[in-house]
Amino acid sequence: MHIPDAFLPLWQSAIYWIVALVLIALALKWAKNELSEDKIPLVAVLSAGIFAIQAFNLPVAMGTSGHLVGGALAAIVLGSPYAAVFILTLVLIIQGIIFGDGGLTTMGVNILNMGVIGGFVGFYEYKTLSGAGLNRYASAGIVAWLACVIAAIAASLEMAIAGTFPLVPGLIAMGTYHVAIGVIEGIITAAAIYFIATARPDLLAENVTTEAAA
Amino acid sequence: MNISNTQFLIGGLVIAILIGGLAVFLASGDPDGLESTALYVQGEKTLTGPSPEDGDPEAVGVSDGFAYTAPLPDYSMGEEGGKIGEIFAVFAGILIVFGLAFIASRLIAVKTK
Repeated sequence: MHIPDAFLPLWQSAIYWIVALVLIALALKWAKNELSEDKIPLVAVLSAGIFAIQAFNLPVAMGTSGHLVGGALAAIVLGSPYAAVFILTLVLIIQGIIFGDGGLTTMGVNILNMGVIGGFVGFYEYKTLSGAGLNRYASAGIVAWLACVIAAIAASLEMAIAGTFPLVPGLIAMGTYHVAIGVIEGIITAAAIYFIATARPDLLAENVTTEAAA
Repeated sequence: MNISNTQFLIGGLVIAILIGGLAVFLASGDPDGLESTALYVQGEKTLTGPSPEDGDPEAVGVSDGFAYTAPLPDYSMGEEGGKIGEIFAVFAGILIVFGLAFIASRLIAVKTK
């Protein structure tokens, strides 16, 4: 879902960058106030893991492939949508500058789609579903799928505003492909949370909250 | 099975490197969802049909105001770099992201003691 430079006029890229910078500032504020030192290994491992798995495109039929984005995963594990903004921004900076994956002028819009939408949809929907009593892994899988689909819809609207994709065909194709790609997002998100819950249950945000409340 | 911070860091990094290494050999060469959509709206691909080998998703672009050539384009060291170049590129990326995230969070995170 990495939008290349050519897909947006510069002035529109600039607007998305300004909004992204506000969110990045809020993410830095979150890290300064909420990210405790004992979470540093988790942030480093999640960032490296999300980068690695984003390089692993899996086929979803229809002549198309897709990979985990990881915004919902980061937000659920670290217990804040800003954690996703923080981690996805780091990943997108390296992908854009060193590997040409996603543009530089369009890095702002990519941070919004993958970090902000992924993080906020992931975090708040997870709270709703798991709060309603749904199993942790089922909740995580469903919200990760939803975050992927909503980010794809946002991207097709951005492409329609830019005149890159016509609105309806863009929505149909982006929607169709990401309904399938979201299944990858859901399964890997649930699996990664299972692994962390097995190896280091104390690192999961919701467990910390539960312990503090107990 | 509770493991220490160091074990978690090293274990996590090893898993990331294994995923990255597998990706070089097993990742699908098909375009991603956004690129497939770009091919579809150009009429180069049907919605559910195969993607053309030589399709150019970026032909749909509306802006040529900015061009940038990355040092390791598409997670490779160019055509002549081959699979070894791709492995180097992906491993370098994993280590850089890991280091950057570690240092950034170390500098910013709340001091607990």
